[in-house]
Amino acid sequence: MRRSNRGVRVVSSKGRPCTRWVQILSLFLTLAGNSLPCFAGPPQDSKAVQLTPDQLQHGKQTFEANCSTCHGLDGAGAMGPNIQGIPFRLGVDRVANVIKNGMAGGMPAFSGQLGADEIQQVVGYLLTLSRKDEGQVTGDAAAGKLVYESSHCASCHTISGEGGDIGPELTTVGQSRGPNYLRNTILYPGTDLPQTRIFLETGGQLQFLFVRVLTKDGRTVEGTRVAEDSFHIVLEDAKGNFHSFRKDQVRELDKEPGKSTMPSMKGKLSDTQLNDLVAYLAGLKGTP
Amino acid sequence: MRKVRSICLAALGLLWTPVSLSQNVPYERILHSQNEPQSWLTYSGSYFSQQYSLLKQINRQNVASLKIAWMYQPSRPVANLESSPIVADGVMYITEPPSTVTALDAHSGLKIWSYTPALPEHVVSIGLYATSRGVAILDDMVYIGTADAHLIALDVKTGAVRWNVHVADNIMGYAMTGPPLALKDKIVVGIAGSEAAVRGFLDAYDPKTGRRLWRLWTTPRVGDPGAETWGNGAAQSAGATTWNNGSYDADLNLIYWGTGNPAPDFNDDDRPGDNLYTCSLLAVDADTGKLKWYFQFSPHEDHDWDSDEPPVLFNATIDGKSRRLVGFANRNGFYYVLDRATGKFVTGVPFVKETWAKGLDANGRPIPAPNQEPTLGAGTLVYPSITGGVDWTSPSYSPQTGLFYVSAHETGAYFIKGTGKIEPGPPKGIVGGGGIRALAGEQSYGAIRALEATTGKLKWQFKLLGPAWVPILSTAGGLVFSGSDEGNFFALDAETGKPLWDIQMGHAARSNPISYAVDGKQYIFVTAGNAYIAFTLP
Repeated sequence: MRRSNRGVRVVSSKGRPCTRWVQILSLFLTLAGNSLPCFAGPPQDSKAVQLTPDQLQHGKQTFEANCSTCHGLDGAGAMGPNIQGIPFRLGVDRVANVIKNGMAGGMPAFSGQLGADEIQQVVGYLLTLSRKDEGQVTGDAAAGKLVYESSHCASCHTISGEGGDIGPELTTVGQSRGPNYLRNTILYPGTDLPQTRIFLETGGQLQFLFVRVLTKDGRTVEGTRVAEDSFHIVLEDAKGNFHSFRKDQVRELDKEPGKSTMPSMKGKLSDTQLNDLVAYLAGLKGTP
Repeated sequence: MRKVRSICLAALGLLWTPVSLSQNVPYERILHSQNEPQSWLTYSGSYFSQQYSLLKQINRQNVASLKIAWMYQPSRPVANLESSPIVADGVMYITEPPSTVTALDAHSGLKIWSYTPALPEHVVSIGLYATSRGVAILDDMVYIGTADAHLIALDVKTGAVRWNVHVADNIMGYAMTGPPLALKDKIVVGIAGSEAAVRGFLDAYDPKTGRRLWRLWTTPRVGDPGAETWGNGAAQSAGATTWNNGSYDADLNLIYWGTGNPAPDFNDDDRPGDNLYTCSLLAVDADTGKLKWYFQFSPHEDHDWDSDEPPVLFNATIDGKSRRLVGFANRNGFYYVLDRATGKFVTGVPFVKETWAKGLDANGRPIPAPNQEPTLGAGTLVYPSITGGVDWTSPSYSPQTGLFYVSAHETGAYFIKGTGKIEPGPPKGIVGGGGIRALAGEQSYGAIRALEATTGKLKWQFKLLGPAWVPILSTAGGLVFSGSDEGNFFALDAETGKPLWDIQMGHAARSNPISYAVDGKQYIFVTAGNAYIAFTLP
């Protein structure tokens, strides 16, 4: 995401947004994992952890013993935040550093309990945690890149610095999402929206959620939630504009879990095109 | 003239005793804290732990204009700020994580003195944050339990160390996070470390010298009463830590203190039985440290549902009889009312969705629902989640409304059983014996719930986006103050739950909101992130 590189624009919407335009420009909103607006780019070192199966197993045990009470056994969050895929977003060095030194907001320092090797093993295990639905790549990645371009995916998604910021960045999506997951999301975008818990103090991670607001003066504003607290909600519409509301000052606020602004590509791509697109995305594992 | 002024101030809820320059807070002042609502002399405002302020200058009519009066921030960033202050004679005593004590001018927020103990280079903090929820004050000293399990007495005027005693071995996982409770001639402290499989206890120390007066172990050993509730004869019984603050009834001379989970949390293979006195409320004779009665909320607990919330003491009439009661919104999802003289169960009802018990029997013991234990593999979906109906964050009771306010968590989790054995020697990590997978964000929410204190019946609720770990304050101004985990701090109408004022603070409050007054002006105080914030009217 490049949201951090530009000013926040809070605008009032004039008239209804064009639904069709929303659909066209919102391709692949849900394709990747979380969108964390505050991180400037993908890490360069997420493949730096090379572990033997024994070391990985030890990393799993260390994670379960020390981390799972707060982050859940699957890393999807509990008393602490969802950390699935976190090494892909922060980089393994930074994750190792956080484990070692802790961070404000609740993460304790483990420098006294875990050695550097053990921390590396935990990071290595974390790299495996967010991997979803392996499956087989059957298509042609080069052809899939053309499908990606012709389907205007880049209007909403960024790869290696190029593209839009409505949907999640896909630069490293192949590391955290397998072919089966990618295929399913392209066909049924709302079925597995990134599920994260609300922890403002650790980065304000929220689910991708489609929200429709009816204002007191009769305007309808639709978009993806980018921030929310118990009294306010901020949406990003299909044009990338932010809209901030006080909840007690709107007429209706409808959340639609399971719905994505990304349209399904079911019936719009041939099987070959779909396989090629999956192959392209599955091969995205970071900037060469 | 002076009398007239006093009457006017009394009407405002601002009557106070003359400011003492000696900074002396004898026991009688704490015992009769209702006589000086401008002060906040214990963790929860009084020995009854009601989190209730008699001040009413800030009220339903004017709270909408509440503004920040001052902010204080430590010289370096802190994590896990859960510090609730003591206010006496215009001075506020706070803690800065992990174990610093600072005195502030409660009128301006300016620092008067600060003391930081020399902690070991590596402080063991397993299953907890190395933080301090606050100090206690008695006579001319303030007391702090440190992250490395020392109890330190400081001069109230200067912060100079009067004495420093070693309470327990930090290397074994013992730590202190809860505030001490100052009684007439004792400083009572609890201990943390259940996830390191330590054995819990409650201690009392001489306020003048630091000499230990008694220790009550909260799990038995072989041959002790209750040993039969541990399958192995209690040879290794662990947990039941006492990591928050307790309450006190001077008439009964009983201390009320909650205990935490057994260890390992989720794997119960080595501890068949009820596992006394884990997940219980203990009533302890203040003079002897002997257990007068206990009430176990969750026998044989295996969902990490500690019972360390401060117990709330209140008096009420039930069926025409005046009763001395204790209310407890438990992490297991039930709200309990007990007779605090006898420990006898009065009533208990769920205050959140719960699936683990079919109800409570006539004695308040849960009737287990089938198939709600942690299991191998994908685990078992249980409500509430590991975070419970509410965790340690203080509820509030208003004698004005007769309502018990709690920040309820509506969420479940998959509880997964893993391997977990208690090993001799220093702990290598969390002795959890499993873990959980939480439900996703949109399937969880929080709410401030107002329960009829004597019955647990829901009077109103104010929904929050997510489950909140924010304590509650109620006031004679007809207000309830609390917050959301998304950083909102707000005031609700105590009778109806209607929101009257809110501010986004940029971080969730983790300390008790409290109220005090200086120079006739009422303040509402809370922390958020690195900030200690006092609010007042313009």
